[in-house]
Amino acid sequence: MAIFNRFPRAGQVAAVYAVITLVVYSWTLLWFFWEYPSWLYFLNIGEILSILAYSLANNFAESLAVLAVPVVLAVVLPGKRFREAFVARSLALVLPILGYMMYVARQFDEKLDYPSAALDLAPLVLAGALLLVFVVGRVGFVRKTLEAFADRAVVFNYLSIPVSVLAVVLVGIRVLF
Amino acid sequence: MSKLNRRDFLKVASLIPGAIALSSLAPKIVPQGARPNVIILLFDAMSATNLSLYGYPRETTPNFKRFAERANVYHAHNSAGNFTSPGTASLLTGMYPWTHRAINMGGLIARDLLDRNLFRFFGDGYTRLAYSQNLWVNYFLTQFGVDVDTVLSPASFSSVARITGANFGDPMAYRAYDDFLFHDGKPPSSLVFGLADRLLFRREYFTESHSRADYPDGMPRAGVYPIYFELKKVFDGIFSTLETLRVERAPYISYFHLWAPHAPYRPARQFMDLFSNDNWRPEKKPEHPLSLKVAQSQLNTRRRNYDEYVANVDAEFGRLMDRLEASGALDNSYVLVTADHGEMFERGEDGHVTPLLYAPVTQVPLMISAPGQRSRLDVHAPTNSVDVLPTLLHLTGHEVPDWCEGRPLPGLGGVDDAERSTFTVEAKNNPAFAPLRMVSVAMLKGGYKLTYYKGYRGKDSFELYNMHNDPQEMVDLFASEKSVAVQLKDELLERLDQVNTRFQKS
Repeated sequence: MAIFNRFPRAGQVAAVYAVITLVVYSWTLLWFFWEYPSWLYFLNIGEILSILAYSLANNFAESLAVLAVPVVLAVVLPGKRFREAFVARSLALVLPILGYMMYVARQFDEKLDYPSAALDLAPLVLAGALLLVFVVGRVGFVRKTLEAFADRAVVFNYLSIPVSVLAVVLVGIRVLF
Repeated sequence: MSKLNRRDFLKVASLIPGAIALSSLAPKIVPQGARPNVIILLFDAMSATNLSLYGYPRETTPNFKRFAERANVYHAHNSAGNFTSPGTASLLTGMYPWTHRAINMGGLIARDLLDRNLFRFFGDGYTRLAYSQNLWVNYFLTQFGVDVDTVLSPASFSSVARITGANFGDPMAYRAYDDFLFHDGKPPSSLVFGLADRLLFRREYFTESHSRADYPDGMPRAGVYPIYFELKKVFDGIFSTLETLRVERAPYISYFHLWAPHAPYRPARQFMDLFSNDNWRPEKKPEHPLSLKVAQSQLNTRRRNYDEYVANVDAEFGRLMDRLEASGALDNSYVLVTADHGEMFERGEDGHVTPLLYAPVTQVPLMISAPGQRSRLDVHAPTNSVDVLPTLLHLTGHEVPDWCEGRPLPGLGGVDDAERSTFTVEAKNNPAFAPLRMVSVAMLKGGYKLTYYKGYRGKDSFELYNMHNDPQEMVDLFASEKSVAVQLKDELLERLDQVNTRFQKS
């Protein structure tokens, strides 16, 4: 079918996925290892690994959800606007937004606040990301840098995907049995 | 004590007539074949020292007083822990914290002791239901597995709530999602779903709360967990649940662990400023070296807010009891009202996250009403939360197991024993799988209270108080009453060595 011709190549999708997982998994693992010393006080290793399994399964779903955005854009938009230079344009879109999400997440603490000031920046961040997507297609140096970075990140897929699939299976077993 | 002198003998002998009198007034143990229901209402962080039921100058609990007219009221009841995890675990297992090992914040009961829980004993035809707004208690309830037929979600009866772990049927899901990935007390550990959930939930909360004129300071909340509730709705939910149990699934044992009056103190509008003009101020006590050194003026304000919240809780409790009486539920149910720990507003300390073990944080209310009871019985003997399990077993015709560290309560099958040693243990910063090296232990025996602070700031210390003459714990007798101090100290240290033996490396 013609629609499948509009999808980016598997290698390109894998490269973008690798960079997304680098950000999403690192964020969670950072907090995991921050909590880990206190967990050792009262949880055994099996229980801590259960938390890790849930976390990795959650990260897997999150990464796929984030990946869906540039993939859908590649299918929907004209080829020249996005699918051409898919890797660079996807990273130009996703990385600023993930970075902004980290900034918003850091605004939360024990107080019951709605981070209105931080959320007011959302349109600016989105506009900036779209500008970057536009620039990436026209500035060869930026495009090549992003593609080179994504190529090197692909190696993490060899670890993150099997571990995440295992985590999903373990969570499924715990929930179903 | 190893030798009984004449004075001690006379003290003990004088208690015998009292013990006989207590047993004659006490509700009778349920005859074989009868199966009464059991309703346990536990209020998180409710200190006995702030209840007018126990003589507090502010009229915080008129409805507790009303209920007391048909109940056994325990005036010297102490929790085995000074925060939720050890205090509640001791109540549910009949073991001290150094045995059940739920000594850390959000800690768990020792995995090889999980069959030692209250619900296990009621497996003979009883419906077993539990509900806790405090997630740390949910961890225990899910640890007990099939021993509890129904564990209601902590989000039940709430106005706005998000508890993700309840959807999975796996105890570790609560820990993974609600205590880690989506935890509300810090940035979400889940960058995409966690953040989205946080934003959506906060927006939902603000939309909901703007229509809540009855909570000007914001709706009550279950700590850092995203559970916002109205007390009225929570108590309505409890009543509905009990009615369903009574009509469809009796006999039953039900455990309700309510968040209020735990901080944040959010009384409804009509209870705010209830005590702001009473001009009463508590007695100022010396600041403790291990305290947070909070200014007394700030503590007084916090205490007033807390008292108002307690009054709110009391009002809803009264409404619940009236409805239960009207429905006939009290005619065939034991009703137990208590708390897991107290709350401090003195000596520079605010709340209960503290190594200190003074009465405000350890002394908790305990009232037990038997089926159809219409008279009041006051018990002044020292009791402990480890006594709840054996008492309920005794009352309902179950055998009390040997491993239980508590005893049936005086007036409900037990006897008054002033020479019995009871303990409160605090060790939240000590690993659960290691000997206790950073720990506070309070031992009550023979009218004295010995408190031991070990491992804090490198210097161990003891404090001794005569609880009969000095219930406010103002005069430390450790240096002056040496014979009592030495005897109690030896016993306490010996007990600590015994419990640590299990974790010593050979």
